[in-house]
Amino acid sequence: MEATITKNFSIDEPIEKVWAGISNPLEISGCVPGAEITEQVDENNYKGKVGLKFGPVKAKYDGQITIEQMDHDAHTMTLVGKGLDSKGKGSAEMTMNGAVVAEGDGANVDFKMVVNIQGTLAQFGARLINDVSAHLMDQFVDNFKKLLAGEEFNNNLKAGSVMGAAVKGLFSKKSD
Amino acid sequence: MIQCKTSKEIGGMGHSVKRKEDDRFVHGKGTYVDDIQLKGMLFMDIARSPYAYAKIKNINKDLAMAVDGVLAVITGKDLEQYNLHWMPTLMSDTQMVLPTDTVMHQGQEVAAIIATSREAARDGREALVPGIEYEVMKPIVDPFKALDDDAPLLRPDKEGQKDNQAWHWEVGQKEETEKIFAEADVVVKEQMHIPRIHVASIETCGIVADYDKVQNHLTTHLTTQAPHAIRTVIALVAGHVGLTEEKIRVIAHDIGGGFGGKVPVFPGYVIAIAATFLIGKPVKWIEDRSDNLTNSFARDYHITAEMAGTKDGKILASRMKVLADHGYTDGAANPSKFPTGMFSIGTGSYDYKHAFMEADAIYTNKPPGGVAYRCSFRVTEAVHAIERITDRFALEIGKDPAELRSENFIKKEDFPWQSPTGWEYDSGDYQAGLDLAMKTVEYDKLRVEQKAKWKEGKLMGIGLSTFTEIVGAGPSKDFDILGIKMFDSAEIRVHPTGKAIARFGTKSQGQGHETTYAQIIAEELGIPSKDIQIEEGDTDPAPYGLGTYASRSTPTAGAAAAIAARKLRDKAKKIAAYLLEVSEDDLEWEPGKWFVKGAPEKAKTIQELVFAAYTNHPQGMEGGFEATHYYDPPNLTFPSGAYICVVDIDPDTFEIKVRRFVAIDDAGHIINPMVAQGQVHGGLTQGIAPAMYEEIIYDEDGNALNGTLMDYLVPTAVESPNWETGHTVTPSPHHPIGAKGIGESPTVGAPPAIANAIIDALRPYGITHLDIPITPYKVFKALKEKGVLDKDITGFEA
Repeated sequence: MEATITKNFSIDEPIEKVWAGISNPLEISGCVPGAEITEQVDENNYKGKVGLKFGPVKAKYDGQITIEQMDHDAHTMTLVGKGLDSKGKGSAEMTMNGAVVAEGDGANVDFKMVVNIQGTLAQFGARLINDVSAHLMDQFVDNFKKLLAGEEFNNNLKAGSVMGAAVKGLFSKKSD
Repeated sequence: MIQCKTSKEIGGMGHSVKRKEDDRFVHGKGTYVDDIQLKGMLFMDIARSPYAYAKIKNINKDLAMAVDGVLAVITGKDLEQYNLHWMPTLMSDTQMVLPTDTVMHQGQEVAAIIATSREAARDGREALVPGIEYEVMKPIVDPFKALDDDAPLLRPDKEGQKDNQAWHWEVGQKEETEKIFAEADVVVKEQMHIPRIHVASIETCGIVADYDKVQNHLTTHLTTQAPHAIRTVIALVAGHVGLTEEKIRVIAHDIGGGFGGKVPVFPGYVIAIAATFLIGKPVKWIEDRSDNLTNSFARDYHITAEMAGTKDGKILASRMKVLADHGYTDGAANPSKFPTGMFSIGTGSYDYKHAFMEADAIYTNKPPGGVAYRCSFRVTEAVHAIERITDRFALEIGKDPAELRSENFIKKEDFPWQSPTGWEYDSGDYQAGLDLAMKTVEYDKLRVEQKAKWKEGKLMGIGLSTFTEIVGAGPSKDFDILGIKMFDSAEIRVHPTGKAIARFGTKSQGQGHETTYAQIIAEELGIPSKDIQIEEGDTDPAPYGLGTYASRSTPTAGAAAAIAARKLRDKAKKIAAYLLEVSEDDLEWEPGKWFVKGAPEKAKTIQELVFAAYTNHPQGMEGGFEATHYYDPPNLTFPSGAYICVVDIDPDTFEIKVRRFVAIDDAGHIINPMVAQGQVHGGLTQGIAPAMYEEIIYDEDGNALNGTLMDYLVPTAVESPNWETGHTVTPSPHHPIGAKGIGESPTVGAPPAIANAIIDALRPYGITHLDIPITPYKVFKALKEKGVLDKDITGFEA
């Protein structure tokens, strides 16, 4: 099951500061809800974990993130992540393209992620992934802004809120 | 319409005798496989593949073995040592019991965990799954892409297999049909998908396998519709390790729904048998809900249906081409010589001389199956195609679909009738059924109302289905499963006190055999049906038979019961002649007694005659009062039905409401009207299921997207409309009691009636076909595509 998730947001910080944060996997991973980097293998390869909980369904992916491309001048990057669910329910692959451009005194960040979930989790993911990921993305942007502003934040995943977002998403669709 | 020959006390055919089995069910006293508890019993769970197509690189058994209570982990490599890693399917294909190297569908069994409790077995499964390493490959999910040049060869294990086609089948008059199509005034064509669905019985599959090492004897308590056939299959698969057929006993207890899903042999059964054989302790395996829903299926036919005819509405020929998605192996349970089952009934109830049908079966990375879900082997698919394309033809020439059907029906006096695909229809009166259905529903009034509704922009539709079923497999010259002829059996033993026990080779899963078989015997022998105990499902005491599916029990075992009872009635006559000191020719039968013609006071009741068979029978006559019959049907039976469905579709939400559903069935003589009506109600509900709700959905990676009952909507009383049922009676001329079988007609006949009604409602907007299940979203999409929703749905002049 493949899903494409895009996010575009503006931030009131200078582009160099934004890029420095975004291009550092150790810092950026701290902003991703439920994620952590456990080991830096080499310059471009990291090991990490991502945990997700959709109501009764939990998935915890152990995996590897590789920086495929990182252009500090053009401010573009491509990351590829691969993970296996620690309960053996399947695997996930993600390719993320990110770009930062100056926008007045601030910066505009553009993300495109293509996520492919294989295995039994796809059953639940199919209908929830867009709503859940939109929610996760919002949480990520909040965290990232706080990071750059030097404010405190935590990247714990609130299961209830994710499920709540999904349910809200389902109902808002019906009234379209 | 239904006349009873016996008194209410005797309770023969035609009486709505209350179901004997219900006492134990309503008291919670049924016995299902999961109720079986044996001393020292172990439990099995099965780790399954999360991927649709992958190589197994490693299985780390230690992870499961570390769990408290886990005793063993069994893999394909372990079974390979005993040559038990593959097994034959009923269609002479091959299926993995456990894989040694490659998994072929999501949810496929990969390893079994044996433990001291069910919980420990499940914990072992959870622990083991992450320890199975795979190399994931790109699966074939779309059967239309399975024959592409770049498609991987899915079954290299099969000798000579060069592509992903399992087999090709065809029947009919190809050239003549083509000629008619080339020259016909009117040709209509639709591409249809009869989706992959699941029987979704409330009880999943399960087994308690109990091998006694000392006696070298295997008892299996099994969820099976065909216990005798399964015993033979076990002997064929495991004979080489010493389990020969006399050492095997299969017991099918109460079954919580079969519907064809409990005919095949599933890998879980074989693994449990292998486990008890190796360990020497009883092993229980009960499949869980998701595993059940995602590991077998029914239907999944892609059909191109065509009809040729004249402008004034005479059908001349039909053509059907099928792409059959069988998953990775042909796991259907059809008679051997019929790879598409009875699909060739798809010329329907209509009188025309030419048809051609062909089918290509395709391997994909999906679960195996193609089981006959409450349908006599692919009849549902065939009936849907013919009833839809007939409606399409009526629409094309602008004729009322009821009128078109009437004009093309095979007439009552034309039976027996030879179909262009080789069947001899036994009897029927299709017009009588349609007339009754139209009268009940007030068809003409509805068409007037529809025109008015259309003017107001309301979506109302009327759909018909006038189908012919083909059941009762089958005559031994053509019908066998793995070589075993498809007769069935009855054995009646009447005790000295006039009470009886009768045993059968079939197995009820809710059909009510304990009641209806007793009524057949009561009808023939005059012993009250309440005095006759019916027993099925245990291969040790019961005579051999091929089981209950395909509406075959009444046509085969029911006939066997009638004939065995007649043998006993003849014996009773001899005893009566002896006791009354008259010639047999002077005796006359009335249900329950033989009496002297013209002197009814000189009579002997059946109970007296039975007692005499044990106490005072003529010299030279064999004592006792027992008879057995194995009935080989001379032909199949052809039940029919006329169904009319009325729907209203909400123009804002597109919710489809079945306003009325009239079902007139003709199953020949009815044994128990109440049981038959119950069968029809259940079957109709299982008919709206695929028409409006059910479909197993896969994504492009072969992930099943709705593997729980939360996502896979099985209709209940909430979704069911008020069924209006009735019947006409056209007895089967070749069946001893003129019965035809009823169990499947409603499931077969309902989907096209509903689909035709919904499409009829959308007809003003140029919609000619929608694939089932027809959901509100599908209706919305279809109207959107036609540009209808850009403006309001109002004011269509019919």
